Amino acid sequence: MRHEGRGFHPDVKRLLDGELRGGLDALAPALREDAQEALRLLAEVDRTAPVVSDALEARVMAAVRAKRGRRREMVVRLRPWMLVPALAAAAMLVLLVGRVLQAPTAQAPAVASLTVRFVLVAPDAQRVSVAGTFNQWDPSATPLVRTAEAGVWAATLTLPAGEHQYAFVVDGDQWVADPAAPAVPDGFGGGRRNSVLTL
Amino acid sequence: MRAVLAGDVERYAELVRKYRDRYARFAARMLGSSDAAEDAIQDAFVRAYDQLAQCNEPDKFVGWFFLILRNRCFAERRKSKDRVSLDAAQAVEAVERTDRDMETAERRRTLQLALLELTSEQREVFVLKHIEGMSYGEIAERLGTSVPSLKMRMHRAYDRLREQLRDRT
Repeated sequence: MRHEGRGFHPDVKRLLDGELRGGLDALAPALREDAQEALRLLAEVDRTAPVVSDALEARVMAAVRAKRGRRREMVVRLRPWMLVPALAAAAMLVLLVGRVLQAPTAQAPAVASLTVRFVLVAPDAQRVSVAGTFNQWDPSATPLVRTAEAGVWAATLTLPAGEHQYAFVVDGDQWVADPAAPAVPDGFGGGRRNSVLTL
Repeated sequence: MRAVLAGDVERYAELVRKYRDRYARFAARMLGSSDAAEDAIQDAFVRAYDQLAQCNEPDKFVGWFFLILRNRCFAERRKSKDRVSLDAAQAVEAVERTDRDMETAERRRTLQLALLELTSEQREVFVLKHIEGMSYGEIAERLGTSVPSLKMRMHRAYDRLREQLRDRT
């Protein structure tokens, strides 16, 4: 005789959970057939472990190394920054969250570096990046990512102490200097300016 | 892990080596195939690296990594919900057929297919308890949930498995 309905009786479930004191013998005789069915179900569980290929580690490390150039450190996470009223492409720079001293290793001697967060308010942009002396002015090297705030893009970089020049690049071709930072002419004439960051 | 955070990326390989097999079985049962499990594990390690600074307690990397992997498994199932899982379950079976008799393999395959019909939440608690051998208390701690809610999920899982298996045999 089976328990009515399609489900197992609560006592049978407790048996499966290993929480029925007395085990199978503690069940009402009418439930034993159900219990046998339930235990068979557990017996059919496959507990063999799959073999993970040796290549997994190499694939992970290849992906991780590729990211390394873009974001060397995320040691310091910034507190929320002040949001400039949503001017279409107003930019601001929030910087200097703390002096980070890289741990000296055999390959890299201790170097003073600082973590800087670049933030751009650009609600209409499809993509934004920051290009500057620290990435050979490569617009594809350092993309900003959309943050939880609508229209706000950000990237966190660790840069060596010293002077850096930079500009934001919106949608691949609009170079936008940072109004919140000092700027200098970009050296090509044409009136465009680069922002200056001194760490 | 602290070395990785301090900039020594290569040390991450040690973490990968150490934990790559730990939850392979969990992922394989959650997704229904070894290949999908390996992809999920790889993806989880890359994501874990991305978010390493958010792991507040370096000593608890493995528990934190587990949650990332678990989320990958859930997302992967959502993506492939409409796909027929038969092929995946057959792939599991084909690998294991070599050292098992056909009847056992067939029953296991049937159960694995039935497992894939559960919701991810139900399957998760079943796999952790009955395949990984964890107690309800351990699962609750790992997932940040309560024992009664886990039991409720599990008991629904038992009923659905029974229905599935009856329909299939």
